Amino acid sequence: MIFMEVSSAAANTTVANYLPIVIQFIFAAGFVGTTMVATHLLGPKLQTKKKLQAFESGIKSVGNARQPFAVKYFLTAILFVLFDVEVIFLYPWAVNFMELGWQGVITMGLFMGLLLAGFVYIVKSGALDWE
Amino acid sequence: MMVLIILTAAGILAMFASVFNGRSVVLPVSLSGLFAAGYFALLEWNTNTTYFEAMRMDNFAIAFTVVCLFAAFVFLLLYHYMHYSSDVHYAEVISIILFSLAGVVVMVSFTSMLMLFLGIEILSLSLYILAGLKKKDLLSNEASLKYLLMGAFATGFLLFGIAMLYGATGSFMLSDIAYYLGLHKAVAEPFIVTGIIMLMIGLLFKVAAAPFHFWTPDVYQGAPTLVTGYMATVGKVAAFAALVRVFQLGFSPALETYQFLFAAVAVTTMFIGNITALYQKSVKRMLAYSSISHAGYMLIALMAANEVTNGAVLFYSIAYTLASLLAFAVVAILQQKSGSDEVSVFNGLSKSSPLMSITFAVAMLSLAGIPPTAGFFAKFYVFSAAISDGWVWITVLAIINSFISVYYYFAPVIASYMKKGNEEGIVLATPVKVLLAIIALLTLLIGLLPGSLSYLI
Repeated sequence: MIFMEVSSAAANTTVANYLPIVIQFIFAAGFVGTTMVATHLLGPKLQTKKKLQAFESGIKSVGNARQPFAVKYFLTAILFVLFDVEVIFLYPWAVNFMELGWQGVITMGLFMGLLLAGFVYIVKSGALDWE
Repeated sequence: MMVLIILTAAGILAMFASVFNGRSVVLPVSLSGLFAAGYFALLEWNTNTTYFEAMRMDNFAIAFTVVCLFAAFVFLLLYHYMHYSSDVHYAEVISIILFSLAGVVVMVSFTSMLMLFLGIEILSLSLYILAGLKKKDLLSNEASLKYLLMGAFATGFLLFGIAMLYGATGSFMLSDIAYYLGLHKAVAEPFIVTGIIMLMIGLLFKVAAAPFHFWTPDVYQGAPTLVTGYMATVGKVAAFAALVRVFQLGFSPALETYQFLFAAVAVTTMFIGNITALYQKSVKRMLAYSSISHAGYMLIALMAANEVTNGAVLFYSIAYTLASLLAFAVVAILQQKSGSDEVSVFNGLSKSSPLMSITFAVAMLSLAGIPPTAGFFAKFYVFSAAISDGWVWITVLAIINSFISVYYYFAPVIASYMKKGNEEGIVLATPVKVLLAIIALLTLLIGLLPGSLSYLI
C-alpha cells in the first residue's frame, strides 16, 4: 500500500522536477570523461626518469615522504587551522556591523574572549614550546 | 540557559585551574558548578521556558538533565578519589566532562533539529577524547579512533536525515514538522520516509542499538573503566532522551511508518545483546553487551508511543543509570587494584570488601530486573506501556530476554560469594564508600517506592 502511494507520487512530480539535475549529472560526468580521454590522446608522451619525478620547485627531492615526523608540527598546524578558521566568523559580523549594533559587539567580544582564553590555555600548558 | 552558562563557565574554570597550579580547586569548582546547574534546572520545573525558539526547558528536559548531572557527580567524585594523584590530565578530564554536560542539556531540551545536531556533537566530541584518555595504551587508542570514525559516519546519516526532512517540510522545528505530518497525512512521501529512517539510524547508533552496535564492545572495553561508566550512563541516557524527544514531539503523526521498525530493532537488540553477553569473559565487555540489551528494552517503550512512554523511559533511565554507575565503579576499583577485568577478579570479594560485593550484587539484581530493586519496576513500566497498546508478543520476547540475562549478571556475584580468592582487604576512601552505599540504597528505595517517580513527566 505504502509503496503504491510512493510510486504514484513519484510518477506525477519527481521525474519532471529532476530532469535538470539529471542533465547536470550527465554534463559533469561527460566533462570529466571527455577531458581525461582528450588529454591522454592529445598530450605528448615523454616518460623519461626526470619527467616522472615529483616536482619540488627545481630542488632535487630527497628520500621518501612517508616518514614519521614529530607531533609538534602537527600540533602547530592544527592550532593554526583553529585560529585561522575563527577569522571567517569576523566577516559576516563586519558586513552587518551597523545593524547588529552593541549587541553584536558584545556577542563577538564573548566569542573572541573565549577563543583568547583557549589561546592562553594553549600557551600556558606549553603546547607551543618547541624544545 | 543559565544551566548551559554555568556548566560552560565551570568547565573553563576547571581547565584554567590546571595551568595556573590550582589543581586543588578543580573539584570544588566543578561540584559547585554541577549543583548550581541542577538548582537552576529545577527552578524551571513546570515553567516550559523557551529559549530562542530552539530549546525548551520542559519537565522532560529538566528530569533528564538532573539524571545526567547526578551521574556526572558520581563520576567526578570517583575520578577524584581514584586518579587525583596519578593522572596528569586530571583537570582537563573534569573540564571535558563539564563541557559534555552542556551538550547533554542541549540534547534533552531541543525543539529545533539544528540544536539536536549541535548537542549530539558536543557530547560525542567529548566522549571521543575521553575514550582515548590512556594515551600509551593501544586498546584505548583503538577505542577512541573507532568511536570517532564510526560516530562521524553515523552523524552523517543524522545530518542527511535532518536535511531531507527540512527539504520535505521546510522547517527545522519539531512542532512545524509534526504539524506538517498531521496536516498532510503524507507519511509515504519518499523524502519524509527516507529522512525519518536516516535520522533513526544516526540516533540508534548513538544509543548502541542493533544492528548499529558493533562499535560498543570495543569502545567500552578500550576506554578507561570509569569513562566507560560515564559513556554507558550519561551518553546513553542523553541519546535516548534525544531519540524519544524527536520521535514523540516531531514524528508521532507518522507513527505507523516507523513503529514496526522500532519493534524489529528492539527485538534484535535485546537478543543480540543478551546472547552475546553470555559468552564474555571480561566483565567490562559483558556490561557493554548488557547496555546494548537495555537499549532494546527502552526501545519497547518508545515503540509503544503512548502517554506513558516518557515516564517509562525516564524511570528506566534512572534505574539503569544507578545500577550501571555502581557496577562500573566496582569494576573500575577492582581493575585499578588487580589490573584485570576478568570475572575471576571477583573471586572472594565478599571477604575482601563486603561493601563492594553487596553493592555490586544490588546493581546486578537491578540490571536483571529482580524485585525489590529499581530495575524490576523499570521493566514493569516499559512492558505495561507496550501491553496497554496490545503489543503482547514483544513483551513475551522481552521477558524471555530478562531470563537469559540473569545467567550472566549472576556470574560475578556468584564468584564474589562462592569462590575463594585473595582475601586481603581492599581499602576504600570514606567518600567512595558512602557514595556506593547511597547509590545502592537509592536503587532499593526506588524499587520499594516506585510511584513517586513514575508519573513525574
